[in-house]
Amino acid sequence: MGEVKTIGETVQYVVIQIGNEQYGIDIKYVDNIVRIQHATRVPKVASYIKGVINLRGEVIPIMSVRVKMQLPEIEDTKSTRIIIVKLDQLGTIGLIVDEVKEVLTMSVDNVDKVSYDKEEKSHFLMGIAKFENRLISLLDLNAVVSEVS
Amino acid sequence: MDVSQYLEIFLDESREHLQNLNTEILNLEQDAENQDTINEIFRAAHSLKGMAGTMGYKRMQNLTHDMENVFSEVRNGTIKVQPNMIDILFQCLDALEEYTSNIQETSDEGTNDNTSLIKLLNDLLKPENTAADAAAKTAGSNAAKTPESSKTGENEEVQTEDDGDIPSWKDIKLDSSENNVFREARKQGKNVFGITVKVQDTCILKAARAFLVFKTVEELGEILVSAPSAQDIEDEKFDLYFSIMIITEHNLDSVIAAIKNVSEIESADGGAVDLKETAAETEAKQEHSKSVKDKNSDSGQASTAVASKESAASTDQNAAKQQNEKKQVVSKPIVNRTVRVDIEKLDVLMNLVSELIIAKNSLVAASTQEGDRNAAFNEQIEYLESVTTNLHESVMKVRMVPIESVMTKFPRMIRDLSKKLNKKMELYMTGEETELDRTVVDEIGDPLMHLLRNAADHGLESSQLRKERGKPEEGSIFLDAYQDGNNVVIEVRDDGNGIDVEAVKAKAIERGTISLEQAENMSEKEIIQLLFLPSFSTAKLVTDVSGRGVGLDVVRSKIEALSGEVEVKSKLGEGSTWIIRLPLTLAIIQTLMVVIGDEKYAISLGSITTIEDIAPSEIKFVQSKEVIHIRGNVIPLIRLNKVLDIKSGKGPDENLIVAIVKKGDKYAGLVVDDLLGQQEIVIKSLGRFINKSKIISGATILGDGEVALILDANALI
Repeated sequence: MGEVKTIGETVQYVVIQIGNEQYGIDIKYVDNIVRIQHATRVPKVASYIKGVINLRGEVIPIMSVRVKMQLPEIEDTKSTRIIIVKLDQLGTIGLIVDEVKEVLTMSVDNVDKVSYDKEEKSHFLMGIAKFENRLISLLDLNAVVSEVS
Repeated sequence: MDVSQYLEIFLDESREHLQNLNTEILNLEQDAENQDTINEIFRAAHSLKGMAGTMGYKRMQNLTHDMENVFSEVRNGTIKVQPNMIDILFQCLDALEEYTSNIQETSDEGTNDNTSLIKLLNDLLKPENTAADAAAKTAGSNAAKTPESSKTGENEEVQTEDDGDIPSWKDIKLDSSENNVFREARKQGKNVFGITVKVQDTCILKAARAFLVFKTVEELGEILVSAPSAQDIEDEKFDLYFSIMIITEHNLDSVIAAIKNVSEIESADGGAVDLKETAAETEAKQEHSKSVKDKNSDSGQASTAVASKESAASTDQNAAKQQNEKKQVVSKPIVNRTVRVDIEKLDVLMNLVSELIIAKNSLVAASTQEGDRNAAFNEQIEYLESVTTNLHESVMKVRMVPIESVMTKFPRMIRDLSKKLNKKMELYMTGEETELDRTVVDEIGDPLMHLLRNAADHGLESSQLRKERGKPEEGSIFLDAYQDGNNVVIEVRDDGNGIDVEAVKAKAIERGTISLEQAENMSEKEIIQLLFLPSFSTAKLVTDVSGRGVGLDVVRSKIEALSGEVEVKSKLGEGSTWIIRLPLTLAIIQTLMVVIGDEKYAISLGSITTIEDIAPSEIKFVQSKEVIHIRGNVIPLIRLNKVLDIKSGKGPDENLIVAIVKKGDKYAGLVVDDLLGQQEIVIKSLGRFINKSKIISGATILGDGEVALILDANALI
């Protein structure tokens, strides 16, 4: 029974790279991952909103996680991706990230929902996951997309 | 038994029945004796009870059961309709609506037993039962015969009150246009007769006999009205009697003799039509003519046209004939064949059509890029364009529903308000058949309700004040819907006090919304616009009807969310008019594609009046703002590159391309770099994430897959 329980209670995270750090995004929010493409600029919006793209006939707004985290902007590279996430409140949004690394499956026991506030960007995080010998910060998507107050 | 799969149908039909009950009980209040109304109410209550029972909603069933008891007694003539009974019945309907909405949310009817209402209903039955017992017997025998007559015609009102069980031409109710035709005929010295014909009960082909009678009579004159309708007679939907009204130059005896000449006709009785008497009964007919209008919107116009004709005898005869033909056509479909379709399925269909249009646009874009184009290819593309446009129109039409479903709620609301506010008022509605997109119809109910409540509470003066001002004591509220080009216009009008501009101004200054100085310089129109600000109310007293200042701002934001606009016209002492203008379709529009810097934008063609080529020297300055003079109008210029933070691709010496846009009676000139031409586009939402930008009303996908934003010209002005 114990084994079944462990399999049943696993979570999967899409691991992304932004700057020097790796973050996990709960896979249940992830709809799609696409290559960076030309976005149509939308006037009079926050600087982190990079515009809108056409994703198979739907108009999807995209935002730069870098800018939101107040990291310097960089040129798009071959590995730049847009992660399309679906949120209950705000609908479908594309997040521009430097790179998508992998998908990790881990037991919920390894996820600590601790909030710590020693760093500036900490309020984008909802917890820390231990995977083998790595520590992965888990992104709180709602905080990432919400407006800075 | 698991009935959950039927829940949706149950809810749909319950709402229909409830709406029907609301309307019919209102009719009953006006005309307590109308058997048709009572029968209709009884039927609806009975169906509702049966449905609730089947679905296992015991409380709902109990309440409807007791209501049905009351209706049944009314139908039998045992008890009379009284004002307090109507009130109780309306309360019951409210309770039923509560059950229904509970069921919709939780699939449970809730725990409210409404015992007090049930008691009230039973009280209605008790004392009257004994008192009116004797009367009930005579009335009951009369009522017992009604099913027979109601069988004869579903559409036409045939009443049995006067002559007991024999239907007679005297029971035919004439609407005003028919009355006019008759009067006109009589003026020209013609006779107007009503004749009731009885067919022998051994007759097998009654319809054929009736047809022969019609033919015979038509040789002598014109048949204007028949009961049952000509269609029903043709379908043999009558017993032994049918009645006709004719205009003829012959006398009564010769007409009757001619009718009796037809074999298997037992008797024919008639007399001259008394026009005054029938004119009084026109009200009841309105209901019927409304349904006729629904089926054939032309006929309304046709009949008024008939009414206005008043010249030579020949034209009159023609008109009468035309009217007769119209009647036959109109009364044909009693029930339209329909299919209930989930709105989501229609949305999917609409989306697919949108995709198709995008694909078509790409194809068009690709074909224009090709160097040597082949004629056959072009032809096919043009064909594809026309097919997709037609397809789009058809799908839009499927989504269109008459605004009636929203409007039918209002007479009841106004009645309740009238009681609550203790003001006499009447609601007049026209254009219920005007069609709008389903999503708009769903959303427009609340704003209209707000405006009507406003009109009832703030607009109309108290009865006393009205009398002093020499106005009729009863206030009038008008709700008119009509189509105007690519828009649907809904007007809410009242003959009340109108907006007191000075009071609004004073209030605005008091609240600090505007300064004294500003107030001086504001036009009446601008001041009225203040009413639309959040939490602005001039009502001195907050009633539970309105006055809390939430309302008009909600009305405006809701209508703007539907890409519509709202406008007010008011004259102090004479009333105000609120004009709502909504686009016919929401999903696909015709736009002008423009270029600004290196970006493409779409502007709705509906708001653009002209395109002008302006030399830089023509630009004048008014209050340090750029304006241009065009045909006598001073139009402010809006440089879109500045509004949108783009670097313009044009030098300062170059001529400007200006799109003149109009909002209400205001103009503005939008300066763009270049024009790309007209394009039909599919509107896509930008999503909730980016909704801050008011000047962008949406986005669209161009033929090359790029996203272009749609500029809302109204927000720019």
